[in-house]
Amino acid sequence: MFDKVLIANRGEIALRIQRACKELGIATVAVHSTADADAMHVRLADESVCIGPPPSSESYLNIPRLLAACEITGADAIHPGYGFLSENARFAEILEDHNIAFIGPTSEHIRIMGDKIAAKETAKKLGIPVVPGSVGAIETAEEAAHVAADMGYPVLIKAAAGGGGRGMKVARSADEIAAAFGTARSEAKAAFGDDAVYIEKFLAKPRHIEVQVFGDGHGQAIHLGERDCSLQRRHQKVLEEAPSPALNDAARQHIGKTVATAMQKLNYRGAGTVEFLYEQGEFFFIEMNTRLQVEHPITEMVTGVDLVIEQIRVASGMPMTLTQEDVTISGHAIECRINAENPTNFRPSPGQITYWHPPGGLGVRVDSGAYQGYRIPPYYDSLIGKLIVHGKTRNECLMRLRRCLSEFVIDGIDTTIPLFTELVRHPDIANGMYDIHWLENYLTTRED
Amino acid sequence: MARETREKTNVQEKQLIRDLATLLNETGLTEIEIEKSGLKVRVARTVQLTASAAPAAPPAVQTTARERAEAESKRSESDPANHPGAVKSPMVGTAYRAAEPGAAPFAEVGSRVTEGQTLLIIEAMKTMNHIPAPASGTVTEVLFENGQPVEFGEVLVIIE
Repeated sequence: MFDKVLIANRGEIALRIQRACKELGIATVAVHSTADADAMHVRLADESVCIGPPPSSESYLNIPRLLAACEITGADAIHPGYGFLSENARFAEILEDHNIAFIGPTSEHIRIMGDKIAAKETAKKLGIPVVPGSVGAIETAEEAAHVAADMGYPVLIKAAAGGGGRGMKVARSADEIAAAFGTARSEAKAAFGDDAVYIEKFLAKPRHIEVQVFGDGHGQAIHLGERDCSLQRRHQKVLEEAPSPALNDAARQHIGKTVATAMQKLNYRGAGTVEFLYEQGEFFFIEMNTRLQVEHPITEMVTGVDLVIEQIRVASGMPMTLTQEDVTISGHAIECRINAENPTNFRPSPGQITYWHPPGGLGVRVDSGAYQGYRIPPYYDSLIGKLIVHGKTRNECLMRLRRCLSEFVIDGIDTTIPLFTELVRHPDIANGMYDIHWLENYLTTRED
Repeated sequence: MARETREKTNVQEKQLIRDLATLLNETGLTEIEIEKSGLKVRVARTVQLTASAAPAAPPAVQTTARERAEAESKRSESDPANHPGAVKSPMVGTAYRAAEPGAAPFAEVGSRVTEGQTLLIIEAMKTMNHIPAPASGTVTEVLFENGQPVEFGEVLVIIE
């Protein structure tokens, strides 16, 4: 087991990692920018190292500074959290070269799944159903038009180096394809430094359903059920629930087994999430995230498994604590991502939290590094905490969530809590009847 | 690499505690607590308010409230980070006072330095980085030990 883990992240996930390390008796090092000197996880960690000024490129994304921090503290492992360097294959490789454990998959698997074209090819080979689409990258507008005509419109042009909802353009007819193709390429080049694009069938009203997988790197791999993350705004998840109200047990077991088998064949190590679009009873692979995800707590609540502890164990060479037979899905969980944003126009609201009172009680979990008096820095994303609620049934979970939202007090800044208060009362949400366009449609009609 | 760092740290820690204990005696303070690069050390002495019948052992030193207040205000106004001549570390690494073990330090308290002159070296990932003086002047304080791990923004030297 590791002696000392360096937490290469910030905010709520850094605190999450700090907690798991402490429960395993591992010493922690919190690296931080000058803007995060007062962060809760920095205060709680055994050691802290200031690694740079606020910009991420000079701090949380700065590989030399992270390595130097490992060197001076003697950390023998790094947990990258999510975002930042968590899916940077080069970073994982550099750590491998320096004999510092990277708590995550191998650089090879990060690389395969980071290239969305290669990921799709790999998924297909492993028996995972994929969205009908082009084979490989599309080089010209003519080719794009040809492929699109074969597939049938509407189509989606996607950046190979994209992911997470970024770098996608819709073409609804032959008239639109050339322009969409050109724009997609230049935007991809600007955003990701790589203009390779591919085409997929555009699904009309799919749900976003993802499966949590976990492997030990030696051929054992399990699934821990699915999460429904269809409620999104600008491709950013807003609310997630597990299990999905759209799946029955047979569908759940089938897709779970498919991805677990694929991960066994891959000898995948650590936590991963295989993301699908689900429409009319069919699953279509879109991408795999080779890291811990923001919404992992809802899986933890329904399975009782601490995913971060599992990650650390497996990275240090220990076996997983459970087999597929041990996995049970019990009850229902919902997570609300609370952002420091105006709930109507989503303008960011950095500033000082003057009053902080989170909800509590049975089945209530708040993952947040915020506290009364905390100043939210303006340099990073606006997620300030996650409210996670569990109930024995979906109805109980919804009632508990309503109660929690009414208790949660955050003064001094704007937050999206009022939005969740509305959502939780909407019949479509109560009935679990929504797809990936639902939230944006709701927000547009709300403006009228 | 990890063991060398740990041994280096142990030696530094012991020296730090000795230094603090000496400081305690010299200033007559009853308690000093310092937190530096993640290490927190507190040295304290109990104050005995005994009657002044000649004791065989040396009497416990009592500081007056005024002495303590003076020490307190001296500490806060002399927070090194606020000093205009503070030279702060631009990187994470290990700070060395000389070019190599046994060599003379680049700068000592009292040294006159010119802008651009090397004050110290910070090593990170086997590369040696010379840290230059941002301005000419006299070094009034050196705030790090040879071989000490330093973080971004840590005050290393004060030049006036």
